[in-house]
Amino acid sequence: MALKDFRAMMERDSYCNSCKWIPYDKIKSQRFAENCPTNLYYQFHLYSVRGKWQAGQTYLDTQEGTIGKDELIKQYPYDFNTAPEFLESVQSCMACGSCDVSCKICRFNLEPLAYNIELKNEAILRGFILPKQKKMIEALKTEQTMIPNAKKAKRQDWAKGIEFAAKTDTYFYPGCKYSYDPKLKAYAKKAAQTLIDAGVKLGYLGDLDMCCAGRAYQQGFYDEFNERADANIKAFKAKGVKTIVTPCADCYHALKRLYAARGMKVKVLHLVEYLDELIKAGKIKFTKNVNLTVTYHDPCHLGRQGEPYVAWNGKEKKIMHQVHTWDPPRPRYNGANGIYEAPRDVIKAIPGVQLVEMERIREYALCCGAGANAQLNFPELSAATASERITEANSTGADALVTACPWCEANFKNAVDENGKGIEVIDIIDLVARAL
Amino acid sequence: MEGIKAKLKAIFGAANVSDDPKVLAGYASDKSFAKTIAPAYVVKASNADQVEALVKFANEAKLPLIPVSSGAPHYRGDTVPSVAGAVIVDLSGMKKIISINSLHRMAVIEPGVTYGEFQEALAKEGMHLAYTLAPRSTKSVLASVMDCEPRLNAMHGWSYTEPFRCVEVTWGDGRRMYTGDAANGGPVGSLEKQFTEEKWQVSPLGPMMLDFYRLLTQSQGTMGIVTWASIRCELAHQAHDCFFLAANEEKDLLNFVWDVNHVRFSEEMFIMNKAEVANLMGKDAAEIAALKTALPAWIVFVGVGGRELLPKERCEQQAADIGEIAQKNGLTLLRSVGGISATNFYKKAISVSPAEKYWKETQKGAFQDIFFLSKIDDTAMFIDKMNALAAAAGYPVSDIGVYVQPIHMGTAYHVEFTLPYDPENKKETALVKDLFIKASEALAAAGAYYARPHGPWARIQLNKDAMNTKSLMKLKGIFDPNGIMNPGKISI
Amino acid sequence: MAINQEAYKELELIVGKRWISQDIAERECYRSIMAESSAHSGPYDGETPLPGAVILPGSTEEVQAIVKICNKYDIHFKACSTFWSVMGFIGDDDSLQIDMKRMKKMEFHERDQYVIVEPYCIGAVVQVEAMKRGFNVNMAGVGCSSSTLAGASSWVAFGPSSCFMGVASENFLAVEWVLPNGDLLRTGTLGSGGDWFCGEGPGPSVRAILRGAQGTAGSFGVCTRLAVRLHPWPGPTCLPTYGTVPAYKLVPTWNLKTYTLNFPDWDGYANTINFLSQNQDIAYLGHRQYNMWGRYIKLAMIKLLIEPGGQLADLPKYMADPFIKEQTEKCRIDLQVVIVGMTKRDLEWKEKAIDEILRRVGGWKNEFMLQPEVHDWVLLYLLRLGHKNLNYTLCSSYEGSGGLSNNVFVTSKVMEEYHELREEFDKTHNGLAATGGDSEMGALSTLGGGGITGYEFFQWFDRHDRESVKGCCDFIQNYSQKLCDKYGFGADMGNWNMTARHPDTGYYYTQDEQNAMFVNSPQPGLQIYQYLVKKAFNPLDLCGSYYRTLDPEYWEANHK
Repeated sequence: MALKDFRAMMERDSYCNSCKWIPYDKIKSQRFAENCPTNLYYQFHLYSVRGKWQAGQTYLDTQEGTIGKDELIKQYPYDFNTAPEFLESVQSCMACGSCDVSCKICRFNLEPLAYNIELKNEAILRGFILPKQKKMIEALKTEQTMIPNAKKAKRQDWAKGIEFAAKTDTYFYPGCKYSYDPKLKAYAKKAAQTLIDAGVKLGYLGDLDMCCAGRAYQQGFYDEFNERADANIKAFKAKGVKTIVTPCADCYHALKRLYAARGMKVKVLHLVEYLDELIKAGKIKFTKNVNLTVTYHDPCHLGRQGEPYVAWNGKEKKIMHQVHTWDPPRPRYNGANGIYEAPRDVIKAIPGVQLVEMERIREYALCCGAGANAQLNFPELSAATASERITEANSTGADALVTACPWCEANFKNAVDENGKGIEVIDIIDLVARAL
Repeated sequence: MEGIKAKLKAIFGAANVSDDPKVLAGYASDKSFAKTIAPAYVVKASNADQVEALVKFANEAKLPLIPVSSGAPHYRGDTVPSVAGAVIVDLSGMKKIISINSLHRMAVIEPGVTYGEFQEALAKEGMHLAYTLAPRSTKSVLASVMDCEPRLNAMHGWSYTEPFRCVEVTWGDGRRMYTGDAANGGPVGSLEKQFTEEKWQVSPLGPMMLDFYRLLTQSQGTMGIVTWASIRCELAHQAHDCFFLAANEEKDLLNFVWDVNHVRFSEEMFIMNKAEVANLMGKDAAEIAALKTALPAWIVFVGVGGRELLPKERCEQQAADIGEIAQKNGLTLLRSVGGISATNFYKKAISVSPAEKYWKETQKGAFQDIFFLSKIDDTAMFIDKMNALAAAAGYPVSDIGVYVQPIHMGTAYHVEFTLPYDPENKKETALVKDLFIKASEALAAAGAYYARPHGPWARIQLNKDAMNTKSLMKLKGIFDPNGIMNPGKISI
Repeated sequence: MAINQEAYKELELIVGKRWISQDIAERECYRSIMAESSAHSGPYDGETPLPGAVILPGSTEEVQAIVKICNKYDIHFKACSTFWSVMGFIGDDDSLQIDMKRMKKMEFHERDQYVIVEPYCIGAVVQVEAMKRGFNVNMAGVGCSSSTLAGASSWVAFGPSSCFMGVASENFLAVEWVLPNGDLLRTGTLGSGGDWFCGEGPGPSVRAILRGAQGTAGSFGVCTRLAVRLHPWPGPTCLPTYGTVPAYKLVPTWNLKTYTLNFPDWDGYANTINFLSQNQDIAYLGHRQYNMWGRYIKLAMIKLLIEPGGQLADLPKYMADPFIKEQTEKCRIDLQVVIVGMTKRDLEWKEKAIDEILRRVGGWKNEFMLQPEVHDWVLLYLLRLGHKNLNYTLCSSYEGSGGLSNNVFVTSKVMEEYHELREEFDKTHNGLAATGGDSEMGALSTLGGGGITGYEFFQWFDRHDRESVKGCCDFIQNYSQKLCDKYGFGADMGNWNMTARHPDTGYYYTQDEQNAMFVNSPQPGLQIYQYLVKKAFNPLDLCGSYYRTLDPEYWEANHK
């Protein structure tokens, strides 16, 4: 789709403001009722998808040269040059998709998340690329990683000492963050080793292990994503990969959803799904108590965006004169089929661990603040979002915050809540390892 | 002056205009401590056309007008002229009950209709008006409703101004208007035509953004003259039961009242001290004195009722549930206290009191009220303060009647102190007069809110809020640009 | 007047650079595209003017300072909180749009049964916090996504629970309000330095200028804080839910029940409304809700909405289902009620009372709606009113028409005529979703204690399809308005704002235009007094023409 293909949605949106709140039926307090990280930070209407549906109309009119020619009275043209806040609202969006879930509680014909990313792509096509984005894309092209300044040659360092199976069709895919981040590398190792110890014939792609480019997609870099995705798909095929296990939520989403849309047939599992399966099958047995009360943060790309891809090729069809449907019925991504139970079951299976929930959870969880690389592109916004989430975590009385995504984890590590208090952030891999 | 008289006669007919000093004397003072000032004329109005003509003339002639709806005696000084040369607009003869509609629980009445007359007419249609505490027989329903007198049933007080709805009013500038639903679509100005179209003047609001009827509430005739109003009524109870609860301290009853309020049970509920119960029930001073000895210090009266749907069952359910609430608060539902049955007390509380022997005068022949709004938890503090002020002034604390009535579904509490005194006893009269002013000021300083600012309370209350007063004066300037409506009242 | 640099700098000093913007796209977002909301304003395809700047104050003091700057530089302004309606948007070029989003504090006074709210406290969060304390608030029909304060101060704000809890006008106590001239008015007890428990008086209530049957729609300064009365809530302190997104349902609770009452004829309906109004404590909430989708599809819509994977494409399938078909036919005339037991005995009595009413009017409880999952979904829907967006779900836009506000014996009589009118229209026109003729929805009462019903006749159209937009206009102007005229109901709801701003350009009317519009109105005093009040409190006329006014001198010289 191109931006112009969103014209109908732009005009079919309304002023309900649902995109600024978690689903109203799920609100438990005023303090933790809002859902959109950028809107929470900037507050202005433009920094919500509703604002962008509206701003996008004039933008498109300007691009298409139809200003003043429509029946509407749009007479004030602008583009990303003349409306810098529009550009900022587009680029700062974390593509977390929480607006998408709230919108679709009632709406069937709007795709807010897809639109947010499309706008990002539009900015890129017009040459508006942030300095940090530039570095990231350079790294992707030259070193096949999301991490600026990281070197391809170092990518496999984390795996030293692990005896991966040479002949297998199940591969471990740690992703860039686990591969390079000095604080997280150990967890990648623990994850792989845990699976191997549980009897999984686990392989590693070695030189073929490269960035999934999911985070490039989140930022609207379609071409770069497509190029990398197609190369990876080809490599997976060549290697005979049938199952991929990844501990990274962003990789999971890219592979499970985006790669599938590009024809990949590989089965994709997030580590927590596999751990859950192995625990329930008795192949992972805990030997130690971990006396902790923890709360769990649902990563956006494992939770609401972690739904499987469903192929569809159809068109809009109006029934009863004006009622909008699709022929055939269109798949509806609204977070219903995200991965929510597996991580919780893993946590609950660990002896001594008590799980307490935050208010914004599952499909309406708040983003960690690192979506769409906000931690690099918009550090203040990102820090404010992490702080908001840690405030929520601390309000549960938990000793620690557990997550299943390295990007979330890294963003939470140095953050503090609104009272200046931090919280121990535990990778779910580490939590499991502590009990083994 | 003769020109004025001639004009008044032309409007009202010679028989309805008087400047007979004896007649004028009847309006020159009342039973309050208001200063005596005789009016120049008394006119007896019988319709809105006359009222409109009068107001227009009064604007030209700069004649002060004082609307009076209730029959004598008056107690609050609001109908006593504050300036010389005033015309009393006596509306007490406008006694038409224009409409009663039991299906919609609405009635339209003129200002002269009294409580006794109205309740009797409503009873015939299976309805009643939400009760005020034993109003005197000559009290105009409309005057009482417009002054927002508290009703015994806070639970049906969705609006602070309930049961006051739409009006026909002639504002101080002479413009006649209809408000709320009476001006909302359809034929404006003709009740008959509206009735034909099944419009019953239900909503008082607006009808646009300015809430006209609210300017008439608590206004003491300073904004305009109302010539009819629609009133929300209630279906009569088909079953009713009632109880007392007793305690030594008022504050011991508050949690019970709050709890009952909170589940929206009861038909009537209020708190009284024994002096006020005795005042209401005693036939004479001796009986009042005896009752005061026999009664518990404080009571709550609570009534439950059912209407046309399963009335008996409703009464039983509420009585049982309220009984449990009482128990939770360490209280018991009682059928009688001090020899007074709850049923008899209820009858007295909802009936009119004869004007010639108004219940508050039984004990000593005269009384002075102090009433204001309070939060529930401040009521006990105000009672203590009043008692201390009375004691310091040498007034017998045991004589002070106290009536505490939740209003507006329990968000506010009407607190009323009754200070009986002997009008023949100059010393006592002077003491009460002095205490009235001092206590009014002291209570205000402690947070008492005189929403209905009669007499000196206007000065006390308006002085506390410059912006509200400034705004009110602007409005007065719009609706009564020449300041002819009851000048001197509600102004500083 | 345009916001010049000097004025902008002064505004910036008040709130800081972060909270004011002149970015062109930002300003564009603060225009109302009238076809994208229920604008009640004529042809539904205009857009309100572009603001000169947008500002987000953080306190009453900042609001007052902003309004004073507006008075100093003759800048037109309007404040809005949740921007649901076209009313909240400015109506003159280069005006200042005040977005109240940053003001969202709440303060509960449980003992005195009220909560003080700031503008950006939406209904959902006020309710959530109230329920924790054993209370509820009257949720305006607009739904829980809108500002409680805005509903109370600026529009009508009755809702499904108004019979039991009252309408906004009845519920708001003391209020803090920055008048258009920059004065800060505090009504009732608050003005006297006291608490917020009474908003009336002393003496004649000055609050009369702040709202009447409707609020001032932002045309009379800025309401900054307001005390709202709380009502009993004996249910759980947090609404517990189950079910997969989006089909959330309320976990059953012993004392919360909902029924869809059906009637053989409109007399039965009217008599039921009357019973519930005369016995105001039976129904905690009463609304003809789901008929808004149309008489033929309402139960099929509920069926697809209670299924997590439901789609509009499922409608024909569900409509053909024999059980749903039968129940939909039985549900032609319907009313949803919620009953809430304060105690077990109370619940028993209310259940019996409902049955007794049905016995007397020959009605029944709809079986489809009694199914546990449907019941639990409906109960959550009605209590939270969190599905405002369903107003757009069929084809993206809707306009409320009709707007029947009268006693139920009057309004129910015209329901079938409206139904037939729409059915006829749909036979020859494609502009509106043809879902069953009658799509009237409305509240048991628009006043506490009952007495007046208020209905909105939903017209569903596609804003992206200009022919559909025209179709909606056509129906309202040429069909619905005519029926309103026939019965003396006044302006069709779709035209309510036609006298407040130009329907094509969204501009406010000038005083001259208003004079011409109102000079021969049935009771010109209404607009004349509003003119005089405006002169007294808004001498520079900074807040637009929602406050309808008529110059008395013009009236004297020109009225017929």
